[in-house]
Amino acid sequence: MDLLRKSMRSPYLAGIIIGLLQIPAFLLVDTALGASSSFVTASGFLFSAFDSSVAEIKYFAKYMSKDKYFWQSALVTGIALGAFISYKASGRTSSFSSPSWRSLSVSPAALPRIIQGFIGGFVLLIGARIAGGCTSGHGISGLAQLSVGSSVAVVFMFVGGIIAANLLYKRS
Amino acid sequence: MDIFWLVILGLTMGMVFGIALEKSRVMEPGVLINQFLFRDFTMLKMFLAATATGLVSLSALTAFGIAELHPKGFVVGNIIIGGTILGIGIAIAGACPGTVFAQIGRGYKDAWFTITGGLLGAAFYGYNKSVIDGALDLGNLGKITYADFVPSVPFWMLGLGTSALLVVFMFALESYRPWTSDRKDASGGLGHSPAE
Repeated sequence: MDLLRKSMRSPYLAGIIIGLLQIPAFLLVDTALGASSSFVTASGFLFSAFDSSVAEIKYFAKYMSKDKYFWQSALVTGIALGAFISYKASGRTSSFSSPSWRSLSVSPAALPRIIQGFIGGFVLLIGARIAGGCTSGHGISGLAQLSVGSSVAVVFMFVGGIIAANLLYKRS
Repeated sequence: MDIFWLVILGLTMGMVFGIALEKSRVMEPGVLINQFLFRDFTMLKMFLAATATGLVSLSALTAFGIAELHPKGFVVGNIIIGGTILGIGIAIAGACPGTVFAQIGRGYKDAWFTITGGLLGAAFYGYNKSVIDGALDLGNLGKITYADFVPSVPFWMLGLGTSALLVVFMFALESYRPWTSDRKDASGGLGHSPAE
């Protein structure tokens, strides 16, 4: 299991593996790799516990009924499992937040990380749902299909990210 | 396929995905954000390799006629504004909607709050979709692909050609900046030593 024990692997190898995952996705599920739809599926089910009208909203209903969204929800759960296996096999220690925040001169303390994570997550998914896809769906999958819309989405992801990162972390 | 097997398939594929994200460190906030600051090129390298491999995979599947493409629509306002907001979100959260799950697996507890924020963000859009989409309405160009501009050329030919260009670009990028040098200067404390 030396493959899993190393803590750092080539990003090219990772990319090749992820690109090959498109084959079972298209062949067996008739869809492309993606991640952000699963948030609509999960929030639809969560909110329907408090608000019975959720399932009648067409947007939520779509993501709560189609098989491919259950597959995608399983996919993102699997991502957590795979990362857990990989992390445990490499024998590193756990921490509340990523030590890599230090490279940005950002405090790894719990409270600021919680607040920033929460706001970031909210912005992230509003953006992804407005655009109709995220870094996986528009990025990796959209570009692999030569989609014009996805290529424009990727350009603007970088525009937004570069501007925000420079405003937030430039001093580091 | 039966829903049970779809879920098993999703979990299995996700595990492979998660191992790749964790081993390549692409799921580290520092790696993503330092890409936007052009201090670490791990994310771009992984992204290019995934796109090039995806192009080859889909070229093969469509050339043999065993799969159909599903490009997303080009809803102009949504794509431009949504893409920009998504990029800002990545810079704030230090995560993408997919890599945040790898952060959960890696044991970063703050990622649970990113997911909570994400669930609320997705719900906010779901409840206000018509208002938001109405405000951003700049037209819809449909599910166009670059292959549509050259109808005489089959997708697989264009796909393999584009993939080859990306590979050339990757080799250039790698010689300018080897992947092993990336995190040394930027992402402090990321998996150099097993003791980390």
